[in-house]
Amino acid sequence: MSFSAIKVEGSALRSSMKEMVRFSCKGAVLNFWFQGEAQAFLCVVDLLVTMFILYLFIPPMQTHFVLHRASSGNHDRKSARMKMDNASPADYTGLNSECKDGLWQQLQREAFEIVWSKIENTFKAVLKNINGDAFNEIHSWVLESFQAIRSLGSISSSFEAIRPFPIAIDAASKCLHAGLVLTRNIEFVDDLMTFEDLAENLRSRGCHVANLSSLEFSYDNGTSGCIRSLLRQFLSSPVDAVDMSILSSWYFAQGNRDAPVVVILNDLERCCGHVLSDFIIMLSEWIVKIPVILIIGVATTLDVPGEMLHFNALQCLRMCKFILQSPMERMNAVVEAVLVKNCSGFSISHKVAVFLKNYFTNHDGTLSSLIRALKIACAQHFSTEPLSCMLKVFDEQESFHGEKCGFLHEVISACDRAILSSMGKMDEEGIQDMVSTLIELKKMQDRWSVVVLCLYEAAKCRQVNLLDLLCEALDPDLLSSGRIGCHKTSIKGRAMYCAIQNVRELPEVMVVNLVKSWEKHAIAIPEIHGKVKDLQYNLKFENGRRRKEDLPVIKRTNQNHLNALGGSRAFNETAANFLECLINDFMQPLECMPSHEIVCYKNVEKLKAALAGDPRRQIQVDLLGSCRILQCSCCSGDGGTLRPSMQDTSIMYILSQEHGDLINLYDWYQCFKLILQPLGKVNQKTKQNQGKKDNNEDEELSEVAIQSRGSCGCKAKGDRIICSGWHMDSDKVMTSPVTLGDFSTD
Amino acid sequence: MAREESLRATKRITRSASSAPTPEKKSGFKTKKTADLCSPSLTDLVYGDPISLDALLSTFPGRKAQILELIKLLGHLNSPTLPLFIYGVPSTGKTSIILQLFRHLNRPFVYSSFRTCYNPRSFFESVLNQLLLHHRDASNGYSSAKRCDRPSDFVDLLRDALTSLIKRLKGSVKKSMPPQLALPVDGHMIYLIFDHLELVREWGKSSSVLHFLFNLYDNLNIPEVGFIFLSNLAPDMFCSNMSYVEQIPVYFPSYSEDDIRQIFLRNQENQKLYSSFLDVVLRPLSRITRRLDELSPTFASLYMQYCKPISGPDTVLNEDMKRRLYSKLNPHITSACNETFRVLDYAAPEAETSTKFEMKACKRKLESSKKSDELDFHLSTSAKYLLISAFLASRNQATLDASLFDSSGGPDGRKRRRKVSQKVMAQQETAEDDLHTKGPGSFPLERLLAIFQCLSSVAEGSPDEDGGSDDWLGIGGEGAVVTTDILLQISSLSNVNFIVRGGSCPLEGSTRYKCMVSEDLALKVARSLKFPLAKYIYRR
Repeated sequence: MSFSAIKVEGSALRSSMKEMVRFSCKGAVLNFWFQGEAQAFLCVVDLLVTMFILYLFIPPMQTHFVLHRASSGNHDRKSARMKMDNASPADYTGLNSECKDGLWQQLQREAFEIVWSKIENTFKAVLKNINGDAFNEIHSWVLESFQAIRSLGSISSSFEAIRPFPIAIDAASKCLHAGLVLTRNIEFVDDLMTFEDLAENLRSRGCHVANLSSLEFSYDNGTSGCIRSLLRQFLSSPVDAVDMSILSSWYFAQGNRDAPVVVILNDLERCCGHVLSDFIIMLSEWIVKIPVILIIGVATTLDVPGEMLHFNALQCLRMCKFILQSPMERMNAVVEAVLVKNCSGFSISHKVAVFLKNYFTNHDGTLSSLIRALKIACAQHFSTEPLSCMLKVFDEQESFHGEKCGFLHEVISACDRAILSSMGKMDEEGIQDMVSTLIELKKMQDRWSVVVLCLYEAAKCRQVNLLDLLCEALDPDLLSSGRIGCHKTSIKGRAMYCAIQNVRELPEVMVVNLVKSWEKHAIAIPEIHGKVKDLQYNLKFENGRRRKEDLPVIKRTNQNHLNALGGSRAFNETAANFLECLINDFMQPLECMPSHEIVCYKNVEKLKAALAGDPRRQIQVDLLGSCRILQCSCCSGDGGTLRPSMQDTSIMYILSQEHGDLINLYDWYQCFKLILQPLGKVNQKTKQNQGKKDNNEDEELSEVAIQSRGSCGCKAKGDRIICSGWHMDSDKVMTSPVTLGDFSTD
Repeated sequence: MAREESLRATKRITRSASSAPTPEKKSGFKTKKTADLCSPSLTDLVYGDPISLDALLSTFPGRKAQILELIKLLGHLNSPTLPLFIYGVPSTGKTSIILQLFRHLNRPFVYSSFRTCYNPRSFFESVLNQLLLHHRDASNGYSSAKRCDRPSDFVDLLRDALTSLIKRLKGSVKKSMPPQLALPVDGHMIYLIFDHLELVREWGKSSSVLHFLFNLYDNLNIPEVGFIFLSNLAPDMFCSNMSYVEQIPVYFPSYSEDDIRQIFLRNQENQKLYSSFLDVVLRPLSRITRRLDELSPTFASLYMQYCKPISGPDTVLNEDMKRRLYSKLNPHITSACNETFRVLDYAAPEAETSTKFEMKACKRKLESSKKSDELDFHLSTSAKYLLISAFLASRNQATLDASLFDSSGGPDGRKRRRKVSQKVMAQQETAEDDLHTKGPGSFPLERLLAIFQCLSSVAEGSPDEDGGSDDWLGIGGEGAVVTTDILLQISSLSNVNFIVRGGSCPLEGSTRYKCMVSEDLALKVARSLKFPLAKYIYRR
């Protein structure tokens, strides 16, 4: 591909404060943003995922229902389902009865919803808890800083609070406490939630908290933007002319003046340094009246404040740094909870794991994209794998005992009725077999996950990624390649070998701790737990023996030292051997187990295509030719023309395509309106509206209705609208949510 | 007691003022209202309990001359004065001294700082609110007493407010009142203090507002109003070719070394120890800066270091001891001279349990060897390659690209190593110098992407790339295809200011970019990829 074809031009939207750079590439438009647009982009991407998932669950003949409204996934699914239930049964010819087919669909959809909600809840909880320590630290620092500010002096009356001059204090104590929170992640999308959690956390402990984003620190707005945003968050009533004295008087009016005011700024790098410096100096002048404590998120290094801020502002700051968990650590935690501990029963094959690992480390690097990929995989699994609906009850521990077992039985027979009916019914014995197979599968999986956890525990010090370990542990060639311990050279440098080697080299205390943590992991599996107990006993025994040997020797000679070293080697060797045994005995990769297809997603090609934008292409093609698919009588006929009876989203998308690379929102909207109401009608309508407004509302489409219909195809966010149309190149799909500027038509 | 009463009275009155719904109504009642308002809440216009001149002078060591000059310029009670223009570098005590001076004189004043008032409207309303003794609080919906956008409106409103206020002040002075009910304010002059005047220069319509401010004395033409401007910049930095009334400049020079010593010694418990500390640190540091706000945090942290070796409070401070303390402190002084800002680690107050500590220590030992040259933050592999290519594009000249990234996909060192003439060498030298003075060069996006493609193809070919090297770009499969994701990654790199938009090229008209990454960071990134960056950087 030659790059000469790429033409880059900058175009700043007139009234928008965001900078936008537009790349027109071979006729395709690609907009990407330098300020504040990534969030909007994510919304669009999420919308895509939602659309895609819906797309999967709808049989081929009904594709287009999907695209009606994209705001909340739950609602979508319901509406789609409703439509599907209402759909005419004439199209079904494949399976012998449509009611059974419907049952199957419903089972799958339910199973997906249940499983995905489990996964979602799990990783959300993990992400919330992962920074708990850091948050506690930040809170105690906030309290300390607050005490320091309080010790500077206090105000006694509301007069003093709003007087515009600084309370005479030393130049030295006119300082602003700032906590620099290192997110260690240049992609700030993952950290948006973190800072919201932090705000929530501090708020729950009685601080006044406001979140500022870099948008408030734009050059155009100046400091007024920041104060306005602060006031909007603290004061309930809107304020006309903003001023620091208002904030001060608000703080004084709060009965409880023992609470610090915490201002959280997400991303330092993207702020305008000039405005932020002014803001900091101003806050530092009001510090006695409003005890503000700043928390600033820094994505890269600690040099950034020095590079960005004015010298005078730096002098005001008393900075303290806090380090959040790195994206790698967070991903490890999520992978541990979702894929290794198997919170939902859904798991992925070796190839998919390798693909996800490469996708994360090489390509995108954000946790949100990993989760998105996982969601797509999950959806695909449920839509393609007939027996996957059994996952609905798979993970629950009690499902294998008593009545739940009966439930499993029920589910299987339901599936059987739905799917296998064409091949002849399964008999009672067959179902019983299946139940036992499933139970066995579950047990194997549990053991496998315990071994992986133990390995991970051992490899932690070496900074081995859990995803690497997972990829190896899922590798079906693991068994065929032979025993781990015997072929050290062949697997040298790999994560598992690393873990075992690490156990060999660890100091004694840490080995004991390690074994303790193993015991904790193994507690649910009696076989492994017993072995760990044995190991602990052995280690204790060995330790005691060595102590005895060492005891009579008072002077430590070189030889004795070597002896002691040899002793500890043996100590480590025992633990390492144990780990090897564990791998050999219990770690059977999922793909080697019978009927693993039920729980395991394997189709890496499809996932790749989904992430590369294949569904987008399909959606676009379908949108352009909605008549062809709908095959309705109202709008079929001559192909090219747009008709008001067509689907709204389809009309909007076709219009946006006709306009070429840049769409003027106003023109777009006017065209849309024209199609919905041909010209004569519009004129008529305006005349009528002047006369008798109320009577005609039913007959005519009101402006509001058109606008709301128009915005179905768009996702409005704040005062901006982003079109969910995607432009295509001839062969490659470009994901380009088109920014259309402000909705105001001035 | 009287004070409390006055407070209550003010509150009640402001509430009644807020209940007046429209501005017309307000102005109609104004004379009556100010009559009610004026006498009780005039305390708003003075600083607080007056202090004596001695206290004032002792609070500000080294500023005796300026304080006395200001007192002279302000003159006796009720004597009119020309506008004062007080200037001097930051942190020389301008604001504090003028405020404390008015506290000493107990004269009414209105203060507004352009630090807090960020645009004309907020400035106008802030002044008027103070003059009309209006408090913005929840009871009046945080609204101003008067809405005022334009300078002309402001002059009218200001004149009204000032005249009525002065009338009250004069009237109450004439009345013979018992001493306990007498006004808490001396004289009937009102002073308007405008702080941080230099910030007005950055406002959009700066010149007009500045002219307006300087002309305000003429426009109002009320002898009972005094103007005081405070600024970091000298008066000739403000456009001075206009015909304003002469302002009397008062200069606050930087503190001398002795002044700084006195200021820092003021509030110290252990004068002797601190004095010996200042002997050590004052000279080297005051050579760098004499700003108090800069020196005081540095001194605070250095003093903590200085006191560390001292065991008890009753340690004898002899020459030997001093020498010992000095030798301990000396390395810290040099580092303090070099640092512009400091970020502290937060140490949790509660002690950690011993086992936890041990674990941490072990971990630290294991990690410490790697730590120094590791990246502090997460970057995906392709983002790293992008960063390196951006760095190379900024660092190397575009003409070199062909030789660095030829068809074989790697640098060919031998080609460049032929003999070059003296003249060419000299040219290269100047080019190199240019590179350093101009900073990183700019490049169009196409060049960045082309270099990225070359680098990624080299990386693809390298044998030690671990698993999945056939598809290291994740998606896209065969060859490096510029997908949106690559461009998105460029955008996230530019979000953290690693790549910034430079000016557009005048000939092509396209946007150009610059890479703002330091060589250290680029090398770190390259090291994490095992990429031989040094080979690609062009050096003489």
